[in-house]
Amino acid sequence: MKKILATIQKEWILLRRDVAGFMLLFLMPAVLIVVMAMVQDAPFKDYQELRFDLLLADNDHSRLADEIKFGLKQSKNFHVVDSIDGKPLTEERLMALLKGGKYRVGIVIPQGATAEVINAANTVANRISEKIGMGKLPAREMRDSMYVRMYFDPVSKPTFRMSISFALDKYITYSCSNLLVSRLGKLGMSQGETIDTAQSDEFKRIFQGIGIKEEPLNEKGEITKFISSVQHNVPAWAIFGMFFIVIPIAGNMLREREERSALRIQLIPHAQNYVALGKIFFYTLICSAQFAVMCAIGLWVLPHLGLSALYMGQHPMALIPIALCIALSATAYGYLVGVVFKTATQATPFGAISVVIMSAMGGIWVPLDLLPGVMQNLAKVSPLHWGLDAINHIILRNGSFSNVIPHLIVLIVFSTVLLLISLYVSRRRTHSIQ
Amino acid sequence: MAHAIEITNLHKTYKGGWSPALDGLNVHVREGQVMGLLGPNGAGKSTTINILCGLVTPDNGTATIFGKDCIADTLTLRKMIGVVPQQIAMFGNLTAWENFRYIGSLYGLTDKQTKDRAHDLLVRLGLDKHADKRINRYSGGMKRRANIIASLLHQPSLIILDEPTAGVDVQSRAMILDFLKEYNQKGKTIVYTSHLMEEAEQICDEVVIIDEGKFIVSGAPLELINNTTDCKRLEDVFLHYTGHSVRD
Repeated sequence: MKKILATIQKEWILLRRDVAGFMLLFLMPAVLIVVMAMVQDAPFKDYQELRFDLLLADNDHSRLADEIKFGLKQSKNFHVVDSIDGKPLTEERLMALLKGGKYRVGIVIPQGATAEVINAANTVANRISEKIGMGKLPAREMRDSMYVRMYFDPVSKPTFRMSISFALDKYITYSCSNLLVSRLGKLGMSQGETIDTAQSDEFKRIFQGIGIKEEPLNEKGEITKFISSVQHNVPAWAIFGMFFIVIPIAGNMLREREERSALRIQLIPHAQNYVALGKIFFYTLICSAQFAVMCAIGLWVLPHLGLSALYMGQHPMALIPIALCIALSATAYGYLVGVVFKTATQATPFGAISVVIMSAMGGIWVPLDLLPGVMQNLAKVSPLHWGLDAINHIILRNGSFSNVIPHLIVLIVFSTVLLLISLYVSRRRTHSIQ
Repeated sequence: MAHAIEITNLHKTYKGGWSPALDGLNVHVREGQVMGLLGPNGAGKSTTINILCGLVTPDNGTATIFGKDCIADTLTLRKMIGVVPQQIAMFGNLTAWENFRYIGSLYGLTDKQTKDRAHDLLVRLGLDKHADKRINRYSGGMKRRANIIASLLHQPSLIILDEPTAGVDVQSRAMILDFLKEYNQKGKTIVYTSHLMEEAEQICDEVVIIDEGKFIVSGAPLELINNTTDCKRLEDVFLHYTGHSVRD
């Protein structure tokens, strides 16, 4: 243990004296977070039109539901999933599927929705008929709220939610208009009279009773927070910055090989293993510290720049093991690059570019749901994806430690594999010169 | 006197090498001796040292230090030997003292042991006033002296030095050679390589000349000079046995 601590102390002294390297580790991701959060604040509100699977549970089984379904099915933006394995989708099943993470949005049409719309149409028709002295349709007192509920994965962007909300609103309005026209037709009004009247404020006010309510969904079905520029950029660029540890680690290892201090370590019995452990431990701690600093920026600096503060979820302590696992992965990757490459000229550009590629693949630059299917599958190769998704579970979906265990396992396996490869390459290199 | 090092019929050809680095080398070094391992470039000196340190595995033959096999007992042997590499094998961005403290802890020494030993050696090699300076800021001679101290902190019984005075000024060289003689008088065995024959003549009890991976001749420097025709210095003996052709 003393040997590992001595190595940690030595690495700390070396890092402290490498001002540029130190700045690279902390300042670069901090600047990235601030700049990207500000730059992406507006574009995060835009949305590219893509085709999405949309879950639909029909508890109404009547005209309004049929017209909404018909409208959505006609749209090029949505692929409506209202039954699975030949069975109509229930609200419970819809929630379970959303919880599974495969689907991003679900719509539940409440029981009695059509009846409520008919009642509203009858009420409007009766008020109009009163003015012109015609007959009366059956109508009861209107209910305060009857909502078509929309459930979203909290990761979904605001513009995505808006586009679905608009589409749904359009189909409900269309359906309501049709019903009103038909109710007025029953009273014997002409089309001209009905249209004039249908455009009245009264009509709009009454039909607000059939509204749409957006609700983000977490694993427990609790309402949580939608993704924003800050919620995306702080963890994303913090992870990106953590993986940039590859440059100081690889640089440090190559410098030690070049100045031959690595040979000195090799000549001390059993020292190599302790030194390797000390290095890994030290850089894992540094990466974790990076993450903490970036979260602190999200919590206390960004609000001063007119952005929202980072929301840490209901189980912020679960971020500690996540940060440690991401840090370990980043360190293991840096260690591998340091072992594999022979010169800093090779290792530095490779390290930097490979981190950029892995981050692009892992959804750091653009949220994964906007990428093509192939890229979404390919993302699973990137440890940055697993790290970011784990953090999203905590800070967006209000998940707890148990929700991110699979992510942590993937990150630990990734780190272990890289460290084993490093060990193998290191030993092979020693033997290959002989 | 018992043998500190016994090298018997050592063979080594590197992968892709066009000729053997060692071709049946036989060398014996007695305990408490200062032995100079001499040879032109490519003679096999570094390969021999690397095998003794357990860094390179021979194809054939045996090498033992204090009766222990250099390959099978590498880890045990590394506690008993101190290697001063030709390069300055220290952390350039750490001070001398930080280097010694770190290396000492890797050898399992307590802070007090490291401090006491490093202090004695720093004083002896004239670096005590510079212990808090970074190695990068040392002169060539200071770096060489610090490199020696780093290799002796664990008080090895055998010291292997690979050109310890390469590129240093006369004063530093004299200090290093005096120190080595003094250290040898404490009963430590020293194996030393150099291209400076005058230096070897001055410090070594015995020299071994090798060339093309083979043993050529060995003996006390004066004995070799006297026994070789028309030789007045060790350099003449060296050229007599290894020839005047330039080696790559």
